[in-house]
Amino acid sequence: MPLIDAQNLYKIYDIGGTKINAVNGISLSIEDGEFISIVGKSGSGKSTLMHILGLLDTPTSGVLKLNGQEVSTLTENKLAKIRNSQIGFVFQSFNLLPRTTAIDNIILPLKYSSIPSSEWQGRAEKMLELVDLTERKLNKSNELSGGQKQRVAIARALVTDPSVIFADEPTGNLDSKTGEEIVELFRTLNDKGKTIVIVTHDADLAKVAKRVITIKDGVLI
Amino acid sequence: MQFLETINTALKAIAANKVRSILTMLGVIIGVFAVVTLISLGKGVQNYITDQFNELGSNLLFISPGTGDFGGDPADSFARNKLSEKHIKLIEENVPAIDLISAYYVASENSRFKTNTFLSEIIGVSYVGNKMFNYELEKGRFFTKSEEKNQAKVMVIGPNVAKNLFSNQNAIGERVDLLGDKYEVIGIFKEKGSNFDDQVILPYTSMENTLDLKNFSSIVLKVKNGYESGFVMKQVDLALFQDLDPDEFQVLSQADILKSIQSILQLLTVALSAIAGISLLVGGIGIMNIMLVSVTERIREIGLRKALGATPFNIALQFLVEAVILSVGGGVVGLMFGALATLFAQTFLRAEMTLSAILLAFVFSAGVGIVFGTYPAIKASKKDPIEALRYE
Ligand SMILES: Nc1ncnc2c1ncn2[C@@H]1O[C@H](COP(=O)(O)OP(=O)(O)OP(=O)(O)O)[C@@H](O)[C@H]1O
Ligand SMILES: [Mg+2]
Repeated sequence: MPLIDAQNLYKIYDIGGTKINAVNGISLSIEDGEFISIVGKSGSGKSTLMHILGLLDTPTSGVLKLNGQEVSTLTENKLAKIRNSQIGFVFQSFNLLPRTTAIDNIILPLKYSSIPSSEWQGRAEKMLELVDLTERKLNKSNELSGGQKQRVAIARALVTDPSVIFADEPTGNLDSKTGEEIVELFRTLNDKGKTIVIVTHDADLAKVAKRVITIKDGVLI
Repeated sequence: MQFLETINTALKAIAANKVRSILTMLGVIIGVFAVVTLISLGKGVQNYITDQFNELGSNLLFISPGTGDFGGDPADSFARNKLSEKHIKLIEENVPAIDLISAYYVASENSRFKTNTFLSEIIGVSYVGNKMFNYELEKGRFFTKSEEKNQAKVMVIGPNVAKNLFSNQNAIGERVDLLGDKYEVIGIFKEKGSNFDDQVILPYTSMENTLDLKNFSSIVLKVKNGYESGFVMKQVDLALFQDLDPDEFQVLSQADILKSIQSILQLLTVALSAIAGISLLVGGIGIMNIMLVSVTERIREIGLRKALGATPFNIALQFLVEAVILSVGGGVVGLMFGALATLFAQTFLRAEMTLSAILLAFVFSAGVGIVFGTYPAIKASKKDPIEALRYE
């Protein structure tokens, strides 16, 4: 059984009468432990697809199953719970809480989970170690470099031990060397068994993934 | 998300914008301060009046001319004032439950000794006045029945009058200019507190003589111990009906007068506090305004929290708690300022910060936070995470 199974996904925006088919009939399945990159030109629908697969957005039509369970019809509260426990997000612009320490940023998803607060600190410290930032534990987010911020964001995505990590242009705001380090980190994580989906339009970075999916005008090619 | 964690998050957000948070709280601070201070001052004035009445002595009945109808023309009831010696006789003859009875005049006038003048309350009563109103003498004596009869120009003065006219020199035997006549000081009474110490007491007959008065300001009588004042009031009514119409006089007990003054004061306090409460409302609008700004400012944070698993309820609660902390915080600070103001007022008034005023301040400020925080909180909770994350 695939981890994620999408059938005939559509996302249609209607702006004053003109329809934009951002996702135009995509079927896709992702197995546990895969490392996938989604590539395509700007505006091709990569982010939209990723948001739907990550349960941040709902498709206009189509069926989406996570671990064999239909999820496109769930309530907002249930979707929030699933996002918290099963899905990790990494964004292009890091999205760390300002004026907040690295460790507290990593703890943030735990505050919305059912994991007891006595475990938060320990879990977050383990994640810091994993992304090699232990000595930056108490630095506020504005005291970190771009690469360090993104590593904190990855640690935050991992802290609830989700089934899959979605990263939308995680290297977009980084220089190429730092970007490679981040991709390398994703590869190590995948080696340890984590399912990873990276959106990028950098073909070189995409090649690191085991499977490359190309999207054009909302369809897979 | 645990509630403590929510409070913690809200406190951090408030601390992140210290100046703005304090300015926002200021509205509530001023509102609560004004309400609490007015209530304790009102209580102080009530206490002051109660004290005055208690000093006056208990079991007193007052007969005043007219109906005491506040709506009527006061000059009219004055013109129709018929109270005189005859009515004292009628009461003495028909109401056995009377202990003491006296005519009563009151005026406010300067008294002068050499170069010293003092504005005092001048009371004209009979020779039983000291027993009726519990005046205890420090020096000298009260006037006698024969002095009353002979319209003797003698006076008993309060300690403040003595201090101001004679500056601690001997006063007994001195003659004071009063009401265009000369009065001899024959006694000084002990400190009684508040207005009483400013009083000058004369035989009412002498005051009539000096000022050419004909009708009493009122008649005061003291009910015998063991008689119920309500019953005696009815007897007094019946006695006076022999000569007067019901609308020509009114019998009031001390408790009645106290009660009606208290209720007027209470009404005044409530009305003033309600007006002050409007500033609390303005404070609430300020909180709502800032919370709406905050929702827009932190839209990416909202999107992020939702992406990481926050439910709409989590988000709404976070913003609502922030609003309530701002308003209750303002309430607590306002309460503290109110307590300081009360403490200061206590130097001249028995002002009191009542428990109900404290509770009221808490309930109202929390209420303001909830009422004005709900809309921004709901607005925040409804933000679509995608749009929130895309927001620039
Ligand atoms: N809220 C929206 N309303 C209307 N159109 C939208 C909305 N969001 C996205 N679109 C449109 O959907 C299409 C796909 O957008 P999307 O963000 O998925 O592209 P992308 O492949 O991620 O591009 P990029 O590489 O630049 O990030 C675009 O044409 C975009 O204009
Ligand atoms: Mg995109």
